Amino acid sequence: MPGSCALLALTLVGLGALTSVVDPAAASLLRHVLVLPVLAIALRFGPVEGSLAAGIAVLAQAPRLLSQLEKGGMTVAAADEAITYVSLLGLAPLVGALAAAARRQRARYDTLLAVQRLVAEERSLPEMLDRLRALLAERCEAAALVLVVRDGEGLTLAGADRLVPGSVVARALDSGNAIFVSDTGTEPRPRRVLAVPLLSRGEVIGILGLERIGELGGSERASLIDLGTYLGLALENARLAAAHRRFSVELAEKVAAATRRLADLDRAKSTFVATVSHELRTPLTALLGFSELLATRPLPPTEVARLASIVHRETERMARIVDDLLDLARIERGAALRVRPLSVALAPALATAVQVFGRGGDDQRVVVACPEDLVVRADPDALDRIVKNLVSNALKYSPAGSAVTLVAHRHAAGVEMAIADAGPGIAPDALAHIFEPYYRAAGAARAAPGLGLGLAVVKALVESQDGTITVESAPGHGTRVTVALPSVPADTPELVPLVS
Amino acid sequence: MWALEAAFPSVRRDLPVVPRAPAWILGGAVAGGVALTTTGHLAVADFRAVVGAVLHGALLTAALGAAAGAAGGRWTATTPAVVTIVMVALGTAASRFDSRGSLLYLVVALWLAGLGARGRLAPLGVHAVSGRAMLVGGLAGAALGGHVLLSAAFTLGYRLRSDGLGPWLLALAYDAGVNVPAAELFVRGVVFDRLQRQVSLATGAVVATILYLVRFLPDPRLPATVEVLAGATLYLTLLSLVNSWLFWWSGSLWPGLVSALVFFAAYRLLGT
Repeated sequence: MPGSCALLALTLVGLGALTSVVDPAAASLLRHVLVLPVLAIALRFGPVEGSLAAGIAVLAQAPRLLSQLEKGGMTVAAADEAITYVSLLGLAPLVGALAAAARRQRARYDTLLAVQRLVAEERSLPEMLDRLRALLAERCEAAALVLVVRDGEGLTLAGADRLVPGSVVARALDSGNAIFVSDTGTEPRPRRVLAVPLLSRGEVIGILGLERIGELGGSERASLIDLGTYLGLALENARLAAAHRRFSVELAEKVAAATRRLADLDRAKSTFVATVSHELRTPLTALLGFSELLATRPLPPTEVARLASIVHRETERMARIVDDLLDLARIERGAALRVRPLSVALAPALATAVQVFGRGGDDQRVVVACPEDLVVRADPDALDRIVKNLVSNALKYSPAGSAVTLVAHRHAAGVEMAIADAGPGIAPDALAHIFEPYYRAAGAARAAPGLGLGLAVVKALVESQDGTITVESAPGHGTRVTVALPSVPADTPELVPLVS
Repeated sequence: MWALEAAFPSVRRDLPVVPRAPAWILGGAVAGGVALTTTGHLAVADFRAVVGAVLHGALLTAALGAAAGAAGGRWTATTPAVVTIVMVALGTAASRFDSRGSLLYLVVALWLAGLGARGRLAPLGVHAVSGRAMLVGGLAGAALGGHVLLSAAFTLGYRLRSDGLGPWLLALAYDAGVNVPAAELFVRGVVFDRLQRQVSLATGAVVATILYLVRFLPDPRLPATVEVLAGATLYLTLLSLVNSWLFWWSGSLWPGLVSALVFFAAYRLLGT
């Protein structure tokens, strides 16, 4: 503005001085020279300044023209000069308007490029909207500007913290139409308001709300509406690109996780094969050795009986391993374990099950406490395997000289058996995994051999008989496994003796 | 931000409402003047003065009606308009009896200033404004007025008035009391302001300028010569455009009032 004022003043002073010093004929020619500075000002500053320059130029020449009119009336020469001034007064705003339109076009192009560059950057939606808002507020010469974008079920706002229902922006968002308010009537100068929908594939995804103190002409409104459409598409593209990037990252993470899982499975399979081989090899070696002795050497009957007993025990051990493997395969296939629940007298069943642990000859004890009249509904073989598995586990991890207790009692609608040991206990993080197949807690593998199948099979056996199994343990305080099985209704006629 | 906060549409400017009683008074004055002039009881010169007073009264009444309408019924324009009309009529009558009676027009200016101070004329753009804006208005009026003087003196052979300072001051009292305020309050405060708000600055400026020319050009005291009419058209057009721009730029009617007053003060210096 100061520059334009200076130019206008210079034009006035220069032309006024020239008019006053040259003779009338030269002054008449001077009117053609007026065109250049006036058009230069119109081109440089726009229609208002161009019109002012033209007005000043005409004022500078008016005294001469008026004098000419007074002396000779509207002569051809006077009309010629008057037409020159009228043309100048018309041409200056026209040229200024065209130049301003070209500048606006250029500014629009620059704005679109700037928007494109901005939305191509990787940012969160609120951050991107904030930056877009700052950019557009500057480019659109807005007194206030807001961007409202639908974000899932809610709205993300830039330039405001709330949207009042019934406001111009809310109306535009609801209707999907651009709304123009020529004046808010709140200020001495007109405050124009335009709310433009941001469109993407025909959907209104948000609103660009703009307020300007001053002019907001029809062509500018149309270009802002176009900008809204462009902005909608750009935001949607940015959103899709961001989603695509997120998807790629997630996919890569999933592929990596799957690869890791496959490697883990491969390692687990190798470990499992090695462990199973080792577990089977131990009884097999005993069987080979003792059966060879029995076949090749004449032995006294007592020795034969002892060796046969060892062969029997090792065979039982192998059978247990094979049974566990078969059951596990069934569990993993999703098939139910085959159980035939019957009424079983619990006290003799427990006594028979723990009998085998009394033959080891070490100093560990299994203490059984069970009321004689307790009867459970269970598959006898399954019950036997459950008890042997749990007691065997407890003995494995119990220190020498300690006792493993097996206490059964009536509980609610069933019977509860608790097997407790004085072992090292299980760490809390391992406790959640002990019923998973092949899982062995850290240190367990070193303390005792095993496949990590026992507890998984026990859980499946208990649950297949409508029972539950829980574990309580803490490092240094031993472990207590509680199995609850349904009891037999009072009127059940048959008690099946457990066949050892 | 208004677009986010205000219920839409929250503000709608009411159209100017001309109060009924003042309209009857003005109509009656014209009809009475016509009747008295036709029957020979009133001189043509006096009838012209009546028409002039009615014109000023009508412009001020319309402006007051618009201001009251925009105030949304907080006050009515009837009483202020009647008071204004009476004051204009008294000033006109007094000036017909004695030229010093023109000083009574200043009462109208004081009355209007009082209304402005109470905020009644705020819808017409009568807001406080910076000294810089007033200075720009004064300079614009001085530039145009100065040009009128130079142009008239050096090219058309007009001289400065030779009847002393008194008549010039009396003419100035008329301009300051009713001539300038009536035109600016109606043309700029009502017509231009509404058009620039509802349509655009350019439309407002063009329509206001046409009205300005319609208001001032049919002046029986202007010599009916081509060069004077061309000059008057040029200067009034420029004055109106400049005042429209001043209103738009400053948001206030004051710089335009100052500009017009300074211009008319310069114009009144011209003799024959």
